[in-house]
Amino acid sequence: MKQKLSVLLSLLVLASMVLAACGGGGASSASGPIPFPEGGKSVTGAYDQEPDAVVPYFTQMSFAIWVTQLTLVGLGEWDDQGNFVPELAVEVPTAENGGVSADGLTITWKLREGLLWSDGTPLTSADVKFTWEMVMDPGNAVTSRTGYDKIESIETPDDTTVVIKFSALYPPWPTLFTQGPNNGGGIVPKHMLEGKTALESDPFIRMPTVASGPFVITEWIPGDYMTLLPNPNYYKGRAKLDRVQIRFVADSAAALAALQTGDIDWYPNFSEGDIETLKGLEPNVKLTVIPGVDFEHYFFNLGRVDGVDGRGKADNEGFCPFKDVRVRKAITLGINRQAVVDSLLSGYTTVPVSQWPNSSWTNDSLVVDAYDPDAAAALLDEAGYTVGDDGIRVGDCNGEQVRLSFNFETTTAPIRISIATAAQADLAKIGVEFTPIHTPAGTFFGQYVDGGPLTTGKYDMGGYTTGFYPDPYTDNYSCENIPNAASPTGNNWYHNCDPFLSDLMDTMLDTVDPAERKAILDEAQAYIAEQYYVIMMYARGNVYGSTPRFQFGPVGPESDINWNSELWDVTE
Amino acid sequence: MWSYLVRRIFQALFTLLIITVLCFLLTRFSGDPLAQYATNPRMSAADKEALIERLGLNDPLHVQYFKWLGLAVQGNLGNSFFAKQPVSEMIMQRLPNTLILMLTAEFFTILFALILGIISAVKQYSFIDNLITMFSFIGFSVPIFFSALGLMLIFAVQFKAWGLPYLPTGAAVWNKSDPVEYIRNLILPVSALVFVSTAGYSRFVRTSILEVLGLDYIRTARAKGLHDRAVLFKHALRNAALPLVTIVGLDIPFLLGGAIVTESIYSWPGMGRLFWEYAQRSDYPVVLGVLLVISTAVVFLTIVTDVIYTFVDPRIKLG
Repeated sequence: MKQKLSVLLSLLVLASMVLAACGGGGASSASGPIPFPEGGKSVTGAYDQEPDAVVPYFTQMSFAIWVTQLTLVGLGEWDDQGNFVPELAVEVPTAENGGVSADGLTITWKLREGLLWSDGTPLTSADVKFTWEMVMDPGNAVTSRTGYDKIESIETPDDTTVVIKFSALYPPWPTLFTQGPNNGGGIVPKHMLEGKTALESDPFIRMPTVASGPFVITEWIPGDYMTLLPNPNYYKGRAKLDRVQIRFVADSAAALAALQTGDIDWYPNFSEGDIETLKGLEPNVKLTVIPGVDFEHYFFNLGRVDGVDGRGKADNEGFCPFKDVRVRKAITLGINRQAVVDSLLSGYTTVPVSQWPNSSWTNDSLVVDAYDPDAAAALLDEAGYTVGDDGIRVGDCNGEQVRLSFNFETTTAPIRISIATAAQADLAKIGVEFTPIHTPAGTFFGQYVDGGPLTTGKYDMGGYTTGFYPDPYTDNYSCENIPNAASPTGNNWYHNCDPFLSDLMDTMLDTVDPAERKAILDEAQAYIAEQYYVIMMYARGNVYGSTPRFQFGPVGPESDINWNSELWDVTE
Repeated sequence: MWSYLVRRIFQALFTLLIITVLCFLLTRFSGDPLAQYATNPRMSAADKEALIERLGLNDPLHVQYFKWLGLAVQGNLGNSFFAKQPVSEMIMQRLPNTLILMLTAEFFTILFALILGIISAVKQYSFIDNLITMFSFIGFSVPIFFSALGLMLIFAVQFKAWGLPYLPTGAAVWNKSDPVEYIRNLILPVSALVFVSTAGYSRFVRTSILEVLGLDYIRTARAKGLHDRAVLFKHALRNAALPLVTIVGLDIPFLLGGAIVTESIYSWPGMGRLFWEYAQRSDYPVVLGVLLVISTAVVFLTIVTDVIYTFVDPRIKLG
């Protein structure tokens, strides 16, 4: 019996090895604008979320926007240096070239001559106008009409001229009809969608088979993969690759194993916590980390039930000691952020000076506060919080004895748990009890009606990642935007009504002049830093893992690897 | 018989109703479908309000539930919030993949469980029995994510590093019309499932056979001079396998749900991953759709199993 068993086992192992050896490349037959040639150059990427729709305006999903960058390009985009550059247009409109009217209400774009969709139909100004009409059609459930609803009319005097007239000044106009890593604004083909409504359910919206970008989607097996082939009519010429495939995997662990075996060529969504692992796999796996314009920040709940001068009433009062700038500064100085960057993030990113890191909008005159527990302790002493018997500081706040003990709420992401634990240890050294509470993202970011802690203001300190780009304006400091029972969808989750800052940020909406807007933003950044309203933890990095054979073009903070996918190539 | 069936079907419908209420509440309270848009600076308050309105999330919970139920009883599981596709279509796209994976795994599980269980029982307390017992306990104790990742690490990642023929991680794009490719991609996920499931089943078979082997009719068969093999396969195994058939029968509807962990690790586009991906986004039409398919199968296949018992074992009377 023993002998038979061993024979059986040997046969099984042998069969597995034979099958493993027999496997081919797994190329699936595909048809498309430029069919995949025998032995052509092909790469496979992995996404851990399957796009919901690949026409911008109907999705807010990063993974979907990345695919739209390959397929449906816009009038302009942001390059690896953070410059706003033309794409389907000849040049970016400015006051100097007459593209921006004196009153700032009219923007004129000039399209390139001879643009074609991948099916050979001319791409004209009528497509731009149709894109706007589609977004504004109440019969279409687009995800956002922000900005497009400020357009009064679009005129198309000829096939290459688009005259956009706004009903009111709209300084973030460069974000309309343009593409970026997180700005889905590509032009859609009128000839494919005209006369249709309820487009959110239209098959073309989910999978556009006509493209203006370097590639066209030719195949999409739900839950499995999609195939893109080169667009013969792309205005910059044919892409270098003959095929791009995107495989949908569950998570970064699956992607990591597949990278090691060469089953995939790149994965764009590693976290900073994966950097050490990826470094260990070099040179078989190539690690690329690009400091981004998103940032991880901690912040204080500064809600006031009575508001400030009648503005910005919150439903919940923030933790009393946080109203003292000395306490906020002490907590900032008491967390060793550089150590977090150096150890937990492998030194691949930086502690940013403001909420506009790594971009042309950054106020470069600002300096990051260094870790200084002695200065932090002195500030708390000065604010009247002295160390009690249990090692936690106690002091008077609005006539009440308050212990410097509070909760910090964030999500359950492993890197956030590690960093919060480090911050907890740092703050304990200066007599501050900082208790992290980790909540699943779906609950942490929950709506007001569902009792989400951020929206309802039921938290002391919080932390998450966001970013204000491509346009730097944010209403996150607006007194009028604090969520409350009467207006539950406001974005000011700091619950912070500072009338000066709120009004200052709003003046950014009074001018379309980039220099004037930069000056306002510089002042706002300096003011936020001086008030210690937020603790900038680190600039989020875009962490890519790829096989050495896969080559992509220049990448910058405001552009990911998709902005110039026509340059993608392989070296065998 | 007929009155019994009618009664059971009504009970089943009521059970399903309770299941849908519980699943709906659990899904709705587990997270906010709009949470993924929360930190998106390009979603204004007005955009969020419009989305809430469109998805019907501003309706009271009971209204949301009855709207969903009203469509479900007509056979319409609604549309996914995010994929915007009919849920039934999404399920039908994934179901065949899941059935191929799970039925293959179930087949090998039963096969190995019978082989190992029989050897273990016949060679009770021998070296081979102890060895099988040890592997059974390892299979019991090791969580599926560990065995699945471990198999991938050895047979895909390390085999490649060592220059040996290696199996795929499942994350490549592969040709599903090529049977060799199909089998190559099935080997690791099926092995991971079989490794864990065989452990329990083989112990069950071993115990069953040991029980039967001690009964009088086996002694009689032996006394009649029958060969050991004939006693085992003609008399003992047929009776010992009956309880296993029951357990396998009850397992079958659960196969529709796929295997969340295994499908995720091996990038297998099945029902388990569908459920998990959309549960993470709190896309409750998809989550409820998947759960409804599984629970309907469980409830109704239980009735079918009960009815089949009456034919298999005349001692059982329904009613």
